[in-house]
Amino acid sequence: MELSRRTLIAGGFAAMLGGTVAGCSSSMDAGTTKKNASGNIALWCWPGGLGKSVLDDTIAHFPDQHIKYSEVGGDFKQKLLTTFNGGTSIPDITGIKGEDIASMLPQANRFVDLKTIGADSILGDYLDWKVKQATTLDGKVLGIPIDIGPTALFYREDVFTAGGLPGDPAKVAEQMKTWDDFLAAGVELKKSNPKAFIVADAADLYGTIVNQGTARYIDKDNKFIGDQDHIRKAWDTAVKAITLKVDGKTLGGSPDWNAGLDKGTVPTVTGAAWVALDIKAACKTSVGKWRVAPTPSGPANFGGSFLAVTKNAADPAAAFEVIKYMLSADNEAKAFADAQIFPATPAAYDKPQLKAADPFFGGQVPIEVFGPAAKNIPIAYEAPLDSAVATPFTDELKLVQAGKKSSDAAWSSAVQKAKQIGKRQGVQ
Amino acid sequence: MTLTATAPTRPASTAKPQRRRGILSYWRFYLALSPFYLLFVVFGLYPVASTILLAFQKWDGLGPRKMVGLQNFRFLIEDSTFWLSLWNTVVLFVMSTAPTLVIAMTLAVMLHSAVRFKGIYRIAYFIPNITSLVAAAIFFAAVFSTNFGLINAGLRSLGLPTEDWLRQPWGIKIAISTMIVWQWAGYNTIIYLAGLQAIPTEQYEAAKVDGAGPFRTFFSITLPQLRPVVLFTVIMSTIGGLQTFTEPQVMVGNNGGTGQSGMTVVMYFYNQAFFNNDYGYAGAIALSIFMLVLLFTAINWKLLGGRGRQ
Repeated sequence: MELSRRTLIAGGFAAMLGGTVAGCSSSMDAGTTKKNASGNIALWCWPGGLGKSVLDDTIAHFPDQHIKYSEVGGDFKQKLLTTFNGGTSIPDITGIKGEDIASMLPQANRFVDLKTIGADSILGDYLDWKVKQATTLDGKVLGIPIDIGPTALFYREDVFTAGGLPGDPAKVAEQMKTWDDFLAAGVELKKSNPKAFIVADAADLYGTIVNQGTARYIDKDNKFIGDQDHIRKAWDTAVKAITLKVDGKTLGGSPDWNAGLDKGTVPTVTGAAWVALDIKAACKTSVGKWRVAPTPSGPANFGGSFLAVTKNAADPAAAFEVIKYMLSADNEAKAFADAQIFPATPAAYDKPQLKAADPFFGGQVPIEVFGPAAKNIPIAYEAPLDSAVATPFTDELKLVQAGKKSSDAAWSSAVQKAKQIGKRQGVQ
Repeated sequence: MTLTATAPTRPASTAKPQRRRGILSYWRFYLALSPFYLLFVVFGLYPVASTILLAFQKWDGLGPRKMVGLQNFRFLIEDSTFWLSLWNTVVLFVMSTAPTLVIAMTLAVMLHSAVRFKGIYRIAYFIPNITSLVAAAIFFAAVFSTNFGLINAGLRSLGLPTEDWLRQPWGIKIAISTMIVWQWAGYNTIIYLAGLQAIPTEQYEAAKVDGAGPFRTFFSITLPQLRPVVLFTVIMSTIGGLQTFTEPQVMVGNNGGTGQSGMTVVMYFYNQAFFNNDYGYAGAIALSIFMLVLLFTAINWKLLGGRGRQ
C-alpha cells in the first residue's frame, strides 16, 4: 500500500476532527448526571474561603458523612467547569465565588435547587439581597451565602484633621453624605495638603457608584441599559473627581497605592470590609490612625461567595445539613474571627467576635459601620454578561483619567463597545 | 485509520528503499518513539483540533455546544478591541524583539572576545530568563510606578520631568517591552555565542591578513555565518513575542491598562474564554493568533532563510 505522507496526515487530521465532534457530542447530553458514591461528602472551596476552625468543627460534627475537604487553588471557577465537563470527581458541595455567581445561574441544571431540600426554613436568616444573587429568574436558589463584602469609607484621621476636615467618624458621616460632599471635601483637603488625593482612583470610584445602584448594565429582559442615566450619573461623578483634580490615579493594590496608604498620599479607601486586611498589611507607621465611616451616598457590596449542592451529590439532603450547620450565624461569626470572612447573617453582627474594638482603627468598632451597611445594600439584577459589558466603561474612563479623551467622546465609545459585546451574546 | 498511524510516516519516508519491508517491521522503533507521539496527540493535536472546531461554535463552558458557522469570525472583524489587541501585539513584538536581538548580538560578540570570567558573565546574562515571570513583572511594575518607582526617582535626581508610566498608553508599552528585553536578551546572547564559537577561526585570520577591520569582519564574516542562528532566534522570538501574556497581565491587569494599551491578543483571548465564558469566540481569536504566528514565521523565513541557502 503506497501511502503518501500528505494523505496520511490529512486522514489523521480528519479522524482527529471526527473524534472531537464525537467527544463533544457526548458532553452535550451531560444533562443525565451520574450520582457520586454515597457514604461521603466531597467539599470544594478555595484557600481562605472558609474559616479553618469552622471547617474542622463541621467535619468533626458530621462523623458519619466523612466530609472530604479539598482546597482548590488557582482559577477556581475554571477548575469547577472542567470537572463538570469531565463528569467524574464532581464535588457534592462546592463554593461559588461572588463574581462568578451571575454566570453560574444559567447552569442551574447542574445544581440542586436548595428550596426543594428545605432551604426555605433558613433563607430568612440571611440577607435578602445576597440570597437574591443566587436565585434564578424562575426562583431556584442555588447557593447559601458564605460571606458578603459591604463597603465603607476607610480614611486617615490624622490627614483629615490636618487638612481642616472632621476626624471623628460620626462627623465625617455627617459632612460627607454624598459623593458631591466627598469631592468638595477633597478640594478642601488638597488646598492645605497638595499631595493628598481624596479619591484614590476615579475608575474605582465609578465601579463603587455603579454597585450602589439598583440597576446595572443589562435588565431582566436581557436589554442593554448601560447607556441610561443611572450609569451616566456614576460616570459623571467619576469624571468630576478627575476635573476637580482630587483623583490620585492610584490603582488599588499597586506599589504606589500600598506606599501611599502609609505615607498619607492615599488618605481614603472606599472598599469592602475585607479591604481592611490589605490596608493593615500595607501600613506600618499609620497604625491606629485609620477610621471607618459609612460610604458616601450609601453602601455597596463587593464580592461574597456561596456554597452550593451539585446535582451529582449522592445525598443532597445530607449535603444541605452540612451547609446549614457550617453557615449558621454562630459559625459565620467564628469564620469572621478566623479570617475576616464577613457574615451574611445579620444575627452574627451581635456576636462578640464582631463586636470587638479594633486598635488599628483607633479603638473604633468597625461593625457599627459595616452592620447597618450590610443590611441596606441595594438589590440590583446582575446579568451573566454584566461584567463583560462593564469593561469598556472602566477602560474608557481610564483614558479620560490619562487626559487622552474628553468625557463625552469616551462615553459614546464605551456605550458603543458595550453594545457590541452584548450583541455578540444576544443582548438587545 | 487512526491518528497514531501518522507517526510512522516521517521516519518511513526517509528510510532507504531497499530496507522497506512494510511499516510493521519497524515496530520496535515506533514503540520507542511512541511516548512522544502519544503525548503530542493527547496534549497537542487534540486541543488544537478542538480549538479549531470551537471557533465555529458557541459555548459557555458548561452547557451544550452550538454550531454557529462563521458568526464568531464576523464578530471578530467588527470588534475594534480585537484589532487594537492585534496592533498592540505587533507593536510590542517589534518594540521588544528588535532591541533584544541587537543587544544580544552585541553582548555575544563582546563575550566571545572576552578573556576572563566568561562563565560568570554567561550565567549572569542567562539568569533573567529563568526568573519567574510573575515575580519579574511585579518587580518591573514597582520600578515603573509613578511615585515610588526607581525610574522616576532616577529622572527626578537628574532634574528631568517624571512620567506616569503605567497610566499612559505608551508608557505601558515601554514598560512591558523593557521587561521582555531584560528577560530574553541573555537567552539570545547564549544562542549567538554558541553560533559564534562554531565559526572557523581561519576565516577571521584570512580576513585579518587581507586587512579587514573589526566592523568589516563583523558584517562580512560573522553576520553571514550566523544567518541560520539569527533565523532561529528571530523565529523563536516571533513565536514567543506574539503570545505575550503574563507581562501585561501582571503589570497592568486583565483589561490591559489605560486605553487597553497592554491588551495583547492572547490576553484578549484569555479574557473572552475565562472571564466572559465565550469559549467559541475565544477559539476564533486563538485561531487568528495561530495564523498571525504562521504569517510572521513565513515572512521571517523568506527574508532571512531564503538568501542563506544560496
